[in-house]
Amino acid sequence: MSRKRIVNVLFKEWRVLFSDVGSTLIVTLLPFMIIGQLLLYVWLAVTFAGDKALNTSVFQSAIAKLQAAVPAVAGLSPTEQFLVLLLNQFTFFMLLIPVMIAMNTVTFSVVDEKLSGSLEALLATPVRTWELLLGKALAGAIPALVITWAVAGVFLLAVTLMGWGSLVSMVLTPVWFLSLFLLTPAVTVLSFLLGVIGSARAKDSRSAQNIVMIVILPLFGLIAIQVTGMVWFTTPGALALALGLIAADFVVLRIAVRLFQRESIVLKWR
Amino acid sequence: MPIIEVNHLTKKFGDRTAVDDLSLQVEEGEVLGFLGPNGAGKTTTIRMLAGIIAPTSGNAEVAGWHIPQDIERLHESIGLLTESPGFYDRLSARRNLEFFAGFYAGIDVPARVEKYLKLMGLWERRENRVGTFSKGMKHRLALARALLHEPKVLFLDEPTAGLDPEASQEVRELVRKLSGEGRTIFLCTHNLAEAEQLCRRIAVIRTHLLALDTRQNLRNRFFRREIIVRVQTLTDGMTEAIKRLPFVQDLRASDNELAVQLTEPEQNRPELVKAVVDAGGRIMEVLENKQPLEEVYLKLIHEDEHREP
Repeated sequence: MSRKRIVNVLFKEWRVLFSDVGSTLIVTLLPFMIIGQLLLYVWLAVTFAGDKALNTSVFQSAIAKLQAAVPAVAGLSPTEQFLVLLLNQFTFFMLLIPVMIAMNTVTFSVVDEKLSGSLEALLATPVRTWELLLGKALAGAIPALVITWAVAGVFLLAVTLMGWGSLVSMVLTPVWFLSLFLLTPAVTVLSFLLGVIGSARAKDSRSAQNIVMIVILPLFGLIAIQVTGMVWFTTPGALALALGLIAADFVVLRIAVRLFQRESIVLKWR
Repeated sequence: MPIIEVNHLTKKFGDRTAVDDLSLQVEEGEVLGFLGPNGAGKTTTIRMLAGIIAPTSGNAEVAGWHIPQDIERLHESIGLLTESPGFYDRLSARRNLEFFAGFYAGIDVPARVEKYLKLMGLWERRENRVGTFSKGMKHRLALARALLHEPKVLFLDEPTAGLDPEASQEVRELVRKLSGEGRTIFLCTHNLAEAEQLCRRIAVIRTHLLALDTRQNLRNRFFRREIIVRVQTLTDGMTEAIKRLPFVQDLRASDNELAVQLTEPEQNRPELVKAVVDAGGRIMEVLENKQPLEEVYLKLIHEDEHREP
């Protein structure tokens, strides 16, 4: 019965989400536009800065870590090495997509129900809190994940079309696959659960968005430490991170259920 | 056999007591009117009995399930109509009901949705977005939602609030119909005329329970029953004859009207009429002087206000 109830919540969320053209466009088109823009920046950086950028200590340190992780990079020209370094960042930029979609969708999932008055009727049904929250989180996480994978495919296609096809093999590392098929789902579910928590603790849509932004912010740190070359995620490192985040998903679901105080939500929200 | 049994139910929000030591029973198939001024604890009581908020102390049993222990199974057995029923405005009426019906085990969702949309006269509008519905239509849809799983007990919180007279009448007809089907209805309302029409017993609450009884017993508590006899011409002889009757407790005569208090109103009324006729009176009308429920309600509230320190 739990599965049926979760699926029921999930399909309702999808119907509500996709009945709104604005939300649908944000969820579907924006990630492609952002990745397109990032590719443009990479092209501009490589074309106009090229190997001069490698003179900075930050990039030198990052290139050294890249060469250690992907030895074939050492045989490339400095400009190509710089290009591979930048293209490898996309692995973690992909993580931004579900986070961004979470902020634009799940933020309103609980607070809107309360404001419309549907939540009290919902809480009078046999649905359990964890079923409701997981259904809401998955309703956002599944399309976010599918879109992220689609963006990854478009990214590889674009890289080839831009004439950098010979470098694709140095981007498609085990870390890439681990990130896309293990880390991204874990981050996606985590983002949406954190989003549901934010929505459940907020009193209106505006404060919901602020709370969600704060709770999701730490995920940006992951990207920052890789881009600056402070840490280069190796296969075991990425695997450990993904497993850690999967464990965190379960913990956060439990926390979300505890924080979702039906009584407080029904009584205090107006 | 009571289907709702409430024992010393209390709800506090910080220092404020919203519901204080409430105990009552509701029989299966009964429509109980639950009255009280704003802030009296009516909605809080309904929310506790519907398992949405937990009592601070005390307990209750609804449809055989204990509160607060058996909330999930309780929700299988009750229907709730909230005061401001909300929906997913961008979804159709059918989609909304299908969503809520999807949480209940063992029901044929499409058939049940069709049945209640038709019952509420909304079948033709089933594919329209709920956001385009009038307030009355949303109320009917909310009633359909509360009935989808055919619960034994229905909690209706101000079911006609904000509705026009025609829509209110439709809702009242529906409540009667549901009561006729044997459902127990806990009707929370401000509308005393509505309670008068629909409920045999009335509970009046002002944080604590002020009264719980049949409408007639509540009237008798504050107002003595009077039989009014209107005659064509009132004479002194007629008044004297009535005064001599052993079952007459009190008599007021004015113009062409006699207001008589009887020991046993139902049994003594024919003899009273006979005595008036025997005394030469030509009876135009005999009726019972019923105080409106509103008077009883106001007396109860007034009495409680004066009891407070």
